[in-house]
Amino acid sequence: MSLNSVTIVGGGMAGFTVAKELRSRGFEGALTIVDPAGLPYDRPPLSKDYLLGKRGAGDIQFAPAAWFEDHKVGVVTGTATALRPDEGAVVLADGTELVADRIVLATGGHARRLPIPGGDLESVVELRTREDADRLRSLLVPGVRLAIVGAGLIGAEVASSALAFGAEVVLIDPVDPPLVPAVGPELARRLHDMHSEHGIKVVTGVPTAIAADGAGHRIQMGEHGSIDADVVLVGIGIVPETALAESAGLDIDNGILVDESQRTSHPNVYAAGDSARTRMADGTLLRRAEHWEHAMFTGKTAAAALLGQDLPVHGASWFWSDRHGVHVEGVGSMAAEGTTIIREDGGKPAIALRVDPQGYLVGCAAIDGGLAVRAARRIIDRRILVDRDKLADPSIDLKKLAR
Amino acid sequence: MSDAINIGSVDDIDEGEAKVIPAEENGTGEDIAVFHAEDGNFYALDDTCTHETASLADGWIEGAEVECPVHSARFCLKTGEALCMPATIAARTHKVEVRDGDVLLYPNVPAEA
Repeated sequence: MSLNSVTIVGGGMAGFTVAKELRSRGFEGALTIVDPAGLPYDRPPLSKDYLLGKRGAGDIQFAPAAWFEDHKVGVVTGTATALRPDEGAVVLADGTELVADRIVLATGGHARRLPIPGGDLESVVELRTREDADRLRSLLVPGVRLAIVGAGLIGAEVASSALAFGAEVVLIDPVDPPLVPAVGPELARRLHDMHSEHGIKVVTGVPTAIAADGAGHRIQMGEHGSIDADVVLVGIGIVPETALAESAGLDIDNGILVDESQRTSHPNVYAAGDSARTRMADGTLLRRAEHWEHAMFTGKTAAAALLGQDLPVHGASWFWSDRHGVHVEGVGSMAAEGTTIIREDGGKPAIALRVDPQGYLVGCAAIDGGLAVRAARRIIDRRILVDRDKLADPSIDLKKLAR
Repeated sequence: MSDAINIGSVDDIDEGEAKVIPAEENGTGEDIAVFHAEDGNFYALDDTCTHETASLADGWIEGAEVECPVHSARFCLKTGEALCMPATIAARTHKVEVRDGDVLLYPNVPAEA
């Protein structure tokens, strides 16, 4: 059948990409995005420039309102509460029904709560949406004691941003240093040490309970005493938003299960982004990814699949993070089997290159080394076999090795 | 049509590299990046990425494209078109000519598509 209409549930990176990509691939049918927040916006700035007030709500939209008019992409501000896949129907909280040939679920996730007493306190802050960022910003007054649970990307970035407000920050993580799987132990150490160098108190441990008495919070740290804080932020990952899919009878397993074309167990429904998890043809479940770029890639794949076009090929995964004035990037896998080559800058590890036993580059992470990561990405994607000595020689520009 | 600025010899910018002509020199109010692309040609775009603050001259120049060094948005050097997320807004182009071995930049004059 020819495709005449698509409803996209969710206006995050994945949902917006599906719409943008359908149009750029020539789809001229009806296209609607449903999201409780209205016009789609980008989430990475929420822990950085948006939180800091350097960029406003309009600045973090993926595209201005005129783009949606020009591209005839309808944006419905609302919450989807039910699906009827056979009919292509999406039911909204206000009773509105949107009917289309195909539905794309780009429902993302919600912040994971700490599974401890007090973990569900309303006063414990999370950071997933613009409203969350607005709330957090309103709490960050000079001298406020902010405890952050989780020193991954969001926790580390908010810790850094909060210093600009004059907050006293405590950063809690069970692991020291965190992010080893993402950037390797050398860069992870350097990055984590930056927190204390900037006046953040770093605590290694696991909260066992949180209590609030109206004036503040007390975080119990098991046998290691307690931490008092005015504001508690928890950044320990997300739970995929699968309720809608589940209620419609779609296959779920820590994510909405999709095939390699992002199609769910119902032929009328696709899923992309954080909420989707790939089940290979042989039944193998891939690990569900929660990255900005993955949301974009799966959105592109869904768009191609909806139009019956060849699926795009995506290269090694990539992420970035900004904290304490440095820009961190990683590509591929720093946790893959192999050995690590370090390039230093000013006596500190700056670029980490992961080489597999066959001698192929499989991962790279860098602090303020964007071009190195871009070079590494091409070396990885093109399967260029590079001599280890050249990778280790700081006088050789990685860019030259990618040619 | 505004006057051309002679930004130097073609040999001053290696292939795959770029040079920034600061706002105060080019008169447009924005820094301009002049790229020596791998196709041998010279192109110019506003230097600041249309997504966030980053210098495209510091980006990865390959073929007739530049990739932002911060968030990997890619732009066509010929047309300024934003080729991938996170950028959705095109970069402004400026005409560049090579004459007698010198690179001439025409600030505010769009490149001919």
